[in-house]
Amino acid sequence: VWYHRPVINEELLQSLPNLKIVASAGVGIDHLDLKLLSSYGVKVSNTPFVVSTDTADMGMALLLASARRLVEGHEMAVSPDTEYFPADWLGVEVSGATLGILGMGTIGYKVAERAKAFEMKILYHNRNQRKKEEESAVGAVYCKKIDDLLQQSDFVLLAVTLTPQTHKLIGKRELELMKPTATLINISRGLVVDQDALVEALQNKVIKAAALDVTYPEPLPRDHPLLKLKNVIITPHIGSATKKTRWVMVEEMTESIEAGLAGLPIPREVL
Amino acid sequence: IGKKVQAIYLWWHKPVINKELLQSLPNLKVIANSGVGMDHLDLKLVASFGVKMANAPRAVSSSTADTGMALLLASARRLVEVHNISISPSMEYCEADILGVKVAGATLGIVGMGSIGYKIALRAKAFEMNILYHNRTQRKVQEEQAVGATYCKKIDSLLQQADFVMLVVSLTPQTHKLIGKRELKLMKPTATLINISRGAVVDQEALLAALQTGVIRAAALDVTSPEPLPRDHSLLKLKNIIITPHLGIKTDKATYMITEEAVENILAALNGLPLPSEVLPS
Repeated sequence: VWYHRPVINEELLQSLPNLKIVASAGVGIDHLDLKLLSSYGVKVSNTPFVVSTDTADMGMALLLASARRLVEGHEMAVSPDTEYFPADWLGVEVSGATLGILGMGTIGYKVAERAKAFEMKILYHNRNQRKKEEESAVGAVYCKKIDDLLQQSDFVLLAVTLTPQTHKLIGKRELELMKPTATLINISRGLVVDQDALVEALQNKVIKAAALDVTYPEPLPRDHPLLKLKNVIITPHIGSATKKTRWVMVEEMTESIEAGLAGLPIPREVL
Repeated sequence: IGKKVQAIYLWWHKPVINKELLQSLPNLKVIANSGVGMDHLDLKLVASFGVKMANAPRAVSSSTADTGMALLLASARRLVEVHNISISPSMEYCEADILGVKVAGATLGIVGMGSIGYKIALRAKAFEMNILYHNRTQRKVQEEQAVGATYCKKIDSLLQQADFVMLVVSLTPQTHKLIGKRELKLMKPTATLINISRGAVVDQEALLAALQTGVIRAAALDVTSPEPLPRDHSLLKLKNIIITPHLGIKTDKATYMITEEAVENILAALNGLPLPSEVLPS
């Protein structure tokens, strides 16, 4: 399964009586009904760790691009109408700012490692607190309550898995808790954010900007308000889209499929 | 009014400091620059009028290093290109076509390892990059080890091995057109050139040709010669280039800190005290 296609539903499973395994590209499996697949005796695998570094890099790329107004700046630099670069055209400083990471799994932790090198102050919220040594290594402070993180962060980065608990984790209430100077970065799943609330928050300057590698749906309808906002950067779910990583992903998927077909233990099986 | 002026705070190269201006300001004691680069000032001329000069080195390094990393990541992951695809009225794109370059494990070659270059090395290390650097002088062993950087005495060696070449030198007669046709040819065809120093460090015509013919993969420039480029310049039309309007230090915090540094220098000069960041003609 690549980019959620084909859609795995009851109809499809019934039409494929000899299906033994579904290998999904990437780490997220929110698009798969695991109970349904299990009831048909079909095994599932994903490619969890290989995507982490590139996705963390994407999170930082979006954070920096948004803070420093890179996309806007490029447009100004190449626009036929530009006569000079205004001296009062400013972005927001990244070094020394506060980053709040929601979801401190493998990807979230890699983001923290990178952010530390930018002398950023790191807060994180997670289902469980990380070990003291892991926290110290990146200088991350645990926020048991998400509200504390939202109120103090200059940048809020979403790196959670999509589950019923994280569905619309960031809604109107959460956006209002954020600083009006804050930026929301989403590298998890579109559904983690209440998109309509986000549009309103951006239009009314409740928060400053957003940078999204994921939306719901993907891609957004062409008349969607998010596409028109100046303070939004959108990328087409390219978190893991590098040649090297995609190569390894396909290798891993092939490996899992071969094991599944041979009745052997499946590497990266999702249970 | 000219007789009352004792200090000038130079903001983005304005006003232009020439002989005429200096002659019209007999009581001028100090010119404080908003930034670290002094290539736009005739240091000998200013000194000949007995006027002191100062720059703002401390405030710029982190912001400029951040800009360098922002450009490196944006170029590697084709951020500007794909943002435009994401918001375009047409939905035609093939996901398999928008692959970027993996940053982790790639080699970054830093040309110019001063304060800004070193801060870039600190950041790049966190991205698990291999770091090579070329500099007038080699850094101390502890400094090299702290960022895992390897010294390349010859720039050629750096150019041949780097996946990303980042220019962080001051503009001097020695670094003028440091990167020309020869240097671009030494680079890998898969490599990216990032310039956060000064436009004149690069031979722009040679860069244009290199990008058009695939001699290097891409470029990301925060600085050009001139700024802005003429609107019909061929560099503006390339797909594999990102150009930003000299963002280097354009943040709220950096602007504040630069102004603070300038004021410190101005007050010191007016009170006959040593300047915290005086720049002397070499």
